[in-house]
Amino acid sequence: MSSLDVTTDAARRPFPGRRARLGDLVLQGSAGIAALGALVLVGLIAWKVVQGARLSISTFGLGFVTHVGWDPVHLKFGAGSFLFGTAVTSIAALILATPIALGIALFLSELAPRGLRGPITALVETLAAIPSVVIGLWGLIVLAPILRDHVDPALHSALGFIPLFGPPGSYGSNVFTAIVVLTIMILPIIASISRELFLSVPSELKEGALGLGTTRWEMVRGVAFPYARGGVAAAMILGFGRAIGEAIAVGLTIGSATAINANLFKPGSTLAAMIANNYQGASSGLELSSLIYLALILLVFSILVNLLAQWIVRRAARRQGLMAR
Amino acid sequence: MRTGDLSVLQRPNDRLRRRRVANRGMELLAWLAAAVAVFFLGVVVWSVAQRGASQLSFDFLTKPQQASGGFGPLNVKQGLANAFAGSFVIVGLATAMALPFGILIAIYVNEFASRLVRSAVGLTLDVLNGVPAIVIGFFVFGLIVVAHGQSAYAGAFALAVIMLPLVARSTIEVLALVPDSLREAALAVGAPRWRTTLGIVLPQTIGGVLTGATLAVARVAGETAPLLFTSSLVATGTHWNPSQALQTVPVAIFELSDSADPADHARAWAAALVLILFILFASLGARWLATRSRRKIARAAG
Amino acid sequence: MPRSGKLVRISLVAAAAAAVAVVAVMAAGTASAKTTSSSVSGAGSTFVAPLVTAWMGPAKSALGITLSYNPVGSGGGVSAITNKQVDFGASDAPLSQFSPTCTTCVQVPWALAATAVIYNLQGLQFLHMTGSVLGKIYLGKITKWNASAIKKLNPGRSLPNKSITVVHRSDSSGTTFNFTDYLSHVSSSWKSKVGSGTAVNWPTGEGEGHSSGVAGAVRSTPGAIGYVDVDYAVVNHLGYFKMKNRAGNFVVPKLKGILAAAQLDTHPKKDGSLSIVNPPKSRKYRNAYPISTYTYIDVQKTSSNAGALKKLIGWAITKGDSKYGPKLFFAPLPKAVVKFDKKQLKKIHS
Repeated sequence: MSSLDVTTDAARRPFPGRRARLGDLVLQGSAGIAALGALVLVGLIAWKVVQGARLSISTFGLGFVTHVGWDPVHLKFGAGSFLFGTAVTSIAALILATPIALGIALFLSELAPRGLRGPITALVETLAAIPSVVIGLWGLIVLAPILRDHVDPALHSALGFIPLFGPPGSYGSNVFTAIVVLTIMILPIIASISRELFLSVPSELKEGALGLGTTRWEMVRGVAFPYARGGVAAAMILGFGRAIGEAIAVGLTIGSATAINANLFKPGSTLAAMIANNYQGASSGLELSSLIYLALILLVFSILVNLLAQWIVRRAARRQGLMAR
Repeated sequence: MRTGDLSVLQRPNDRLRRRRVANRGMELLAWLAAAVAVFFLGVVVWSVAQRGASQLSFDFLTKPQQASGGFGPLNVKQGLANAFAGSFVIVGLATAMALPFGILIAIYVNEFASRLVRSAVGLTLDVLNGVPAIVIGFFVFGLIVVAHGQSAYAGAFALAVIMLPLVARSTIEVLALVPDSLREAALAVGAPRWRTTLGIVLPQTIGGVLTGATLAVARVAGETAPLLFTSSLVATGTHWNPSQALQTVPVAIFELSDSADPADHARAWAAALVLILFILFASLGARWLATRSRRKIARAAG
Repeated sequence: MPRSGKLVRISLVAAAAAAVAVVAVMAAGTASAKTTSSSVSGAGSTFVAPLVTAWMGPAKSALGITLSYNPVGSGGGVSAITNKQVDFGASDAPLSQFSPTCTTCVQVPWALAATAVIYNLQGLQFLHMTGSVLGKIYLGKITKWNASAIKKLNPGRSLPNKSITVVHRSDSSGTTFNFTDYLSHVSSSWKSKVGSGTAVNWPTGEGEGHSSGVAGAVRSTPGAIGYVDVDYAVVNHLGYFKMKNRAGNFVVPKLKGILAAAQLDTHPKKDGSLSIVNPPKSRKYRNAYPISTYTYIDVQKTSSNAGALKKLIGWAITKGDSKYGPKLFFAPLPKAVVKFDKKQLKKIHS
């Protein structure tokens, strides 16, 4: 019988003092209640949201999800335009942010001179820490006029044949402005996770490839990327999840219109922005319940996106575990 | 140049050159990407600093907003002290609510839970982390505000819900770093479980816990959406009473940005500057604590 | 013995200090109690916000009342008072326009002003506009400033070939109710397609929150059009239209036009509401501004702060309006309305 067996034995049978037993019980009990509390909290959130949306669900059913238009006078509400807005802004922001974020991650893990690595990493993390209301303020007052006066018309004249880049009008607050703001917001999330992933690629793999005569880019493309692929996908999905839930920065810059437009230079709205702008003064019980229905849709999507990211991470970790062996 | 005998060497050279060019191109793009990040951060921080610095003064930090409204010369607003006070109270209360709760959850997950419970709680924390702040705001509105009105307590509770998964997860990670040998040594000399956990394991992790807490504070200091539902109908003047709605810095920025008055915009920039400086300070502090605690645990394990 | 590192000791001291600080703060906070009898808090309409803000100083000095006001929009104000989160709600749309609404409230018309239709065209002051053309603009049918319909109303003015940026409210607004109520009166296509309300299904345009948001958007966007309480237009140096009334005259949204329109309805309905939009053709209303409106204060019949509220409202509808109103383009209330209001106030008790 080794000494190890004795200690684990002692761990299983607590020291037979009544005071000790009570202390153990109290700690385990209160910690257990806390853990249970977390589960209860999530359940409560889901319940409250469903309860608030019940009136709208029973009035509109699932058709609410596709109906386009928000008419408080005739009491017809639908999530269609907001789902469209959320999808367009978040997907576009993801498309714009991912290559830049990966570039930053590669730069910080492979290319940057030692002295620059620390400061620029800190810079990227600071960008992540800027609150959404500040970025929204900046987007509204600094970015929107610049886009309206210079960028939107230029994009329209260069790419106007694509309906996405239709005639700009004089709106500074439009879907395009919101996309740029969201891109800036999710960029650091994807970048910092990807950076850590590239740093965690085993150096034997990297050096092995370089030793065989590949250029650094070929090593990244052939060894680092495939190794980190799962984590990068998860990072992208986390960034996407952040984008769909962003209410304040988008609310300040998107222009609050409920029509669906292909033209990015027209105002629009998203699920989160609509809730933020309108919950306070809903003019009817049905409108308030419909806003909560929007919140329910947003909640379901956010949870699904989050779980998807976790599942991808777990799958990638399992595969890496196999690879490491 | 003689052609014939060098032709064998030319082919691999061409390919090598193309590969090198591709490599160079990608390296340039990576540098460009980093420049883009630096550029955007610089532009945002520069805008805030340049436009906010003019309004920053001792008065700004100590005198309350004179009136809300945001129009014309009738408004004699000089300061934002009520927002700083309210943010201090609400974030402080939120931390007091979330920290013990999160630490207890982490202790349960790490020291007592079976594998099933551990993954269930882990899943719950991940789900909680993914709930958008605006939905949490609406949740607390329905739970507390509808029945009892707005208050700093309600706002703090909403922020605490956001902080909880951050604090719990970082504490779990730090607890896991404490080597089992420490726990077993304590148990071997007869210390009970609770004494081991609270007196030996937890103190090892204080640095990590503080790091997680500081990062969580930095995160919620700038949260606007939940406070719009729970603490936005405020009285004029600087108040500290948590049972009434208190003005907060992010909500003040949100309201001031709405206004047509450029003086209001200037005040919004100044408030944004103070907020960014605070968050920067907190994040740097958290990183310093993290490196310190990591070094300490490494020393203990070694 | 636990490994008592310096960090542990520092954190324990910090935690103790924080606990002491929290207790001290809360003690100090509760000492300055939530709402004493001499402080009144309200929320609601941004339309009336300039006037309420102007009243804060005199309310303190003349009445000893500390007045707080949160301009969150009429809808926000009505929901706040319905849920008893404030002492009073302020709304430019009558309570009947909201549902749920405050069924236990007293509605008191306490101020009178006009909605200006603002625009941003450099150098072109006081352009002429009619309700039906305005309706077409907000329906998205007229999209350029030099459209023939607008040119016809403004002969001799050089209207630019610029597109019209339509701005409206994104939140629940009494000003929107006033504006859409007017459009429904003068444009049958507006009435059937959109209707009137505190928030409507806008066919075109971008939405901004609060009167200040609309004013700000119009101010920063050349070629924009919007609608706000007239005081916002004046203090932001925004151009506004002379609207054609049914008598055929083009009138500015100032005191003369407001008072002429107010003649239309001086006897509030049982619930306290009045409608003075689009007065008829007769000679009496030849100077009336067609988009004038009353704005209301809503108070719970049973209020813990009844004394201070009655004092404040009694002062507001007399001295408050007549002394501080005109500078901000709020007209003094007609005597019949003041009489009605005083009777309404009797319904409030603690």
